[in-house]
Amino acid sequence: MDGKWQALCRTINEGNSEAGVAEALRLLETGETPLAVFLECVEPCLADIGDRFARLETFLPELMLAADAVKAIQEELLPRLQADGSEGYGKGRVVIGTIFGDIHDIGKSIVSVLLQVNGYEVKDLGVNVPAKDLVQAAKDFDADLIGISGLMMPSLPYIRDAIALVKENPELVDRFRIMVGGGPVTREWALQAGADGYADNAVGAVTEAALLLEGRP
Amino acid sequence: MNTNHLPEIVDRSETGPYAAESDFDLMLVKKVPELISRHGIKFDPKVLVPSDDAMVDRLYEAAVELFVDIGAYNQTSERRILFSRGETEEIVAGQPSRIVLGTGKDAVVEVHREVESLVPCRVHSGPTGTPSSERHHKLILQSCAQEPLVDCLGAGSVSTYMGRQIVPGSPTEILGTRRDSAEAREAVRKAGRPGMHIEDNATPLTCQGKMAAVDPASGLRTSDGMLVSQMVEMKTDYDQLSRVAYMQSIGMHIVDLLVPLVGGLGGGAEGTALLTVAEHILGAVLYHPSYHFMGHMHLMRINNTDRMGLWIQAMAGQALARNTPMVVSNDIYCVSGTGTSGLLWEVAAGAMIGAVCGTHQHGMGVAGGATVDQTTGLEARFQAQVAHAALGMTRSEVNELVLGCLSHYEDRLDDPDPGKSFPQLYDVATLKPNGEWLDQYESVCEALTGMGLDIDGAWRRVLRDRDLAGVVS
Repeated sequence: MDGKWQALCRTINEGNSEAGVAEALRLLETGETPLAVFLECVEPCLADIGDRFARLETFLPELMLAADAVKAIQEELLPRLQADGSEGYGKGRVVIGTIFGDIHDIGKSIVSVLLQVNGYEVKDLGVNVPAKDLVQAAKDFDADLIGISGLMMPSLPYIRDAIALVKENPELVDRFRIMVGGGPVTREWALQAGADGYADNAVGAVTEAALLLEGRP
Repeated sequence: MNTNHLPEIVDRSETGPYAAESDFDLMLVKKVPELISRHGIKFDPKVLVPSDDAMVDRLYEAAVELFVDIGAYNQTSERRILFSRGETEEIVAGQPSRIVLGTGKDAVVEVHREVESLVPCRVHSGPTGTPSSERHHKLILQSCAQEPLVDCLGAGSVSTYMGRQIVPGSPTEILGTRRDSAEAREAVRKAGRPGMHIEDNATPLTCQGKMAAVDPASGLRTSDGMLVSQMVEMKTDYDQLSRVAYMQSIGMHIVDLLVPLVGGLGGGAEGTALLTVAEHILGAVLYHPSYHFMGHMHLMRINNTDRMGLWIQAMAGQALARNTPMVVSNDIYCVSGTGTSGLLWEVAAGAMIGAVCGTHQHGMGVAGGATVDQTTGLEARFQAQVAHAALGMTRSEVNELVLGCLSHYEDRLDDPDPGKSFPQLYDVATLKPNGEWLDQYESVCEALTGMGLDIDGAWRRVLRDRDLAGVVS
């Protein structure tokens, strides 16, 4: 990473929102564009944090605080990005939740945080979410992608229900992509159930989301 | 607070400070590092079994501060449940230190253990944390219950009923639960130990499902127990608290289950150790359990046999042993599969730490809990033998032995041997381990004996002195 981005990357790593926003604004004053700040600094910085988290060389609290810092920077810079007429950073809108019958929160929450810090707008519905509520929330949020987590085998039928509610509805089938994951979920099960994508960890979920939404308007 | 504490818990759940769950998480994330820093708690990857009593006591004090400061989070009411330091200390002091598990000739007394205690560990065993198939669940249970060194049976979880996926909250959950309780009872009967304590039925996911597990004639009894879970981190809900109400009212053993995640909201080893101790305090205050089931695990690998996990076990066990009367057991979560030497080395490390750090042995999770039917009675026998062989050792002696065990599996933590399933390792008719699995077992036993552990003799002394150690007289 170019030396000019180091200070901003450091504030993100430290989870220091205030300093992060100040440094991002300073960079704009030096002539950098908002899009360059995101693409050349924020994204690689977050990718590095994500990689270290995957190896558990850094931990969830650091990831959460980094996400907070990036969110603050996003809030400050996104209006300028839109005013610039720049496109390409807002990567998509995601509704995510742990399916009905299952109260495991943390894996889903990590995926939620990682998606946010990678430029997605995320609505996290929490745990124990009925299939119809997931789909309704996706409509209300105008989501591109529905992410469903399930860590209990008895809850898998409800994931299948959620997928069916989308895939069997002609109005929704092309509107939402569906990505699933969680302990007992395998890629084979996911494909057989009709999901569009699958990930077995949070970093993989970000990669899969990018693949699923590639080329979508 | 009086002995029926639940009305007060509900009151506080309804009137405590409102917090969005994410705000509660953030509160915890900021408080934990501050406490670690202020109390000088430091993880040293070369000293996995610390003998630093002062640091252990500081860990306990930090955990009390954390619990008193942020309280417990009720996910149902979205409020914090707060307790004063005085209330917390009073409830912890009133925790049982001696409990009778099971009934009749098969009952055992399980007592609070101190650091470097000479009281043998009680050994719980079964497919705890490892799912079972309908076909083999009862055989796996019996293979564990029939081991003479196993004191209590942990029943497992089965996800199907007559080949269909069990749907939580539906009749299949009730039917599956009742089947698995009956199978656990039948397993201890067939093992010739009909009064053996059965500590859970892990098939149901709801309170009503748990209630269906109880059947004095052919299911779980009040001399058995069931788990009440905490959600990560420092959280409960009304479904879990309702289980407490039911078990308390019928006089059944309540088992407090906590699974802090290493690398999760607590951060690394120090923060997760802090959460582990704080969650025992939370469990004592909210659930009034007979005993605690400590099951911290690595966020990615679902194990606690790496350096951080072993250190957390050692530190939390000692902190609770030195500062509370609690009866604590630790589940050894392993990455290796059944039938492998890797599993036995992982179990040996955790079993020795439990023996000298004040906990009982709570069986093991195998292969990250991801594969069906990965439990056999032989690894339970091995766990007991190692724990008994470590009795009387010092923490520093065990530290060296644990580092030796670690050298056999640490480089394969990310690529473990997947092992084999129960029917590939046991004769399903005679319920005896096959030669392949026995060879692995004997080879690791021999290696441990070479390291100075009396694997073949210590358990004999424990059985000989069993009456003194706690069988009901």
